[in-house]
Amino acid sequence: MEEILSVKNLKKYFTKKGLSGVSKDTIRVADGISFSIKSGETLVLAGESGSGKTTIARMILRALEPDSGIINFEGHEITNQQDSLKKIRLGCQMVHQDPYASINPRMTVLDIVREPLEIHSIGNKKEREQLALQALSQVNLEPVEEIASKYPHMLSGGQRQRVAIARAIVTKPKVVIADEPVSMLDVSVRIGVLELMKELQERMKISFLYITHDLATANYIGNRIAILYLGKIVEIGPINEILSGPRHPYTQALIDSISYPDPENLKRDRKIRINDPLDIDAYQGCRFRARCPYAIEKCKQEPELEEISEGRQAACFVKIN
Amino acid sequence: MRNQRNIQNSNVPLAHSSFMTFLSVNDLDVQYQSQGKKVHAVDHVSFSLQENESIGIAGESGCGKSTLGLAIMKTLQENASVSGEIIFDNKSILTIPVSEFTKNIRWKQIAMVFQGAMNSLDPVFTIKKQFKEILKKHDFQGDLKQAIETAISSVGLSHSILDKYPHEISGGMKQRVVIAMALILKPRMVIADEPTTALDVLVQAQIMVLLKNLKKSGLGIMLISHDLGIISEIAEKIGIMYAGQIVEFGLLSDVYNNPKHPYTIALLNSIPKLGNTEKIIPLKGNPPSLINLPSGCRFYDRCSKAMEKCKVEPPRIKTASGFVTCWLHE
Repeated sequence: MEEILSVKNLKKYFTKKGLSGVSKDTIRVADGISFSIKSGETLVLAGESGSGKTTIARMILRALEPDSGIINFEGHEITNQQDSLKKIRLGCQMVHQDPYASINPRMTVLDIVREPLEIHSIGNKKEREQLALQALSQVNLEPVEEIASKYPHMLSGGQRQRVAIARAIVTKPKVVIADEPVSMLDVSVRIGVLELMKELQERMKISFLYITHDLATANYIGNRIAILYLGKIVEIGPINEILSGPRHPYTQALIDSISYPDPENLKRDRKIRINDPLDIDAYQGCRFRARCPYAIEKCKQEPELEEISEGRQAACFVKIN
Repeated sequence: MRNQRNIQNSNVPLAHSSFMTFLSVNDLDVQYQSQGKKVHAVDHVSFSLQENESIGIAGESGCGKSTLGLAIMKTLQENASVSGEIIFDNKSILTIPVSEFTKNIRWKQIAMVFQGAMNSLDPVFTIKKQFKEILKKHDFQGDLKQAIETAISSVGLSHSILDKYPHEISGGMKQRVVIAMALILKPRMVIADEPTTALDVLVQAQIMVLLKNLKKSGLGIMLISHDLGIISEIAEKIGIMYAGQIVEFGLLSDVYNNPKHPYTIALLNSIPKLGNTEKIIPLKGNPPSLINLPSGCRFYDRCSKAMEKCKVEPPRIKTASGFVTCWLHE
């Protein structure tokens, strides 16, 4: 499979200013992030809030300027040149978390889905309408004509998210970045949306960058996974391998924290293998050191991602087993 | 003996309704009036709970699960009309006056952790001040400092947090503070409405560990959540709500191991598991709006097993430890 999107050494620091304007705190939301997505695959970016997941997505689409680093899309580096920006913004679309906020309540469904075509001046008016209706039927919003004339408030959460997906695929993108696309939806409609994404992936050869904190849904849709902690990838590789045998303590803690519906849970003691955070500078040494139950002296140095098996890397000196 | 009446007077089969019924809800019905429309949020809901038992109320957004909690706390909005019966510790909550409820039951016997409560901490007061306010409101006679410190320790926080302002502490800590506030008057039961939503996964799990420990120390918990996983961490019993009704109720082990209602089955199936990438068949359609509900079974449109009979409202059918409202099990 060919590589369609890659980021190299992406960095973004935010500085929090104190009242006097003197800089106080620097937060490294992305600190040397590198990964690549192959054509037709789904890469999951997983981590807690504040780990930098959404910032990375925004930098890929240049909604946010990275401090440094390279983004390659279809073999070309994305720069601030107009044509370069157009290329990524046409070929790489986004589905946001909250379908109640991400679509304009004053536009009809047809207008919402048609808008990207207008922005990128694709086709004439008639063709645009055709493409938009086609996209709506691809996301299984039936009857298409009826839905197209509706306003978002007339739709349920699941239907809204399908509209957002239709808007994302109408330009026939190569990559879709989906930022927690099902976390706001009802449990009973989540699988429907995930299945839809899988179906579109197969039919349109779309690659997904799937951003989530929910490892169980990630496992359902993903091929590979990158675990983020405070702006760094701590483990990356094939999703089955990582979730069935994590090597980084943070990945293990994330897996520990999943509760499945199981009557045995009641009697079981829950163990989450994580410590109360120590009061140390997170950017000195391993970032997870403050909460890591396995920390050793060496962890005061910063671990780099190391290959541990084919296509799999972890940034940890201990590498639990 | 505590309340025996639900057994004699009600045709609802209830689990283990032998003695010591702690909380029983019989035919509770709540309707909101909104812009001339009726919203039937809770539709003839019945269940019962013994002392030291915990219950999970599971359902999707808009199914009426929060309204059920608010009705038990007698904190419904004015546009709500309520009927039915809620018996808590032999007292009929719906018929006693609010003043008496406030004096004897609210927060002293039953407390609630409201959904999103951690965002309702007042930003301009320290945590300690906000604790004091609760104690004053409830005419607490005793050592304020000691009561507050006991409560804060019981949720695993250090006393130093009391002098902090809400913005100085993390979301998980705020959620612990809110739980401590519910515990401060030592209630016998706490209603927790989505206590882990909006928290990070690790923090969520830690809050569940806290609730598990509180339960072990004898607190009854009614956990309202959409997450069947976290409910199974603390509840012996579960009620599955759909469009205002409890469609299945019983011991959690019975409901999870042997779900009867097609909606329960679909919900349990729709949770992906690690290490299992089998294709899950999604449930079609969306939950109905609570305005203008269809007659007959409310799951009719989405049910793969729907039949002609289902156009008539299904009866409550007794199961091993509770009931199911579905014609399939007639």
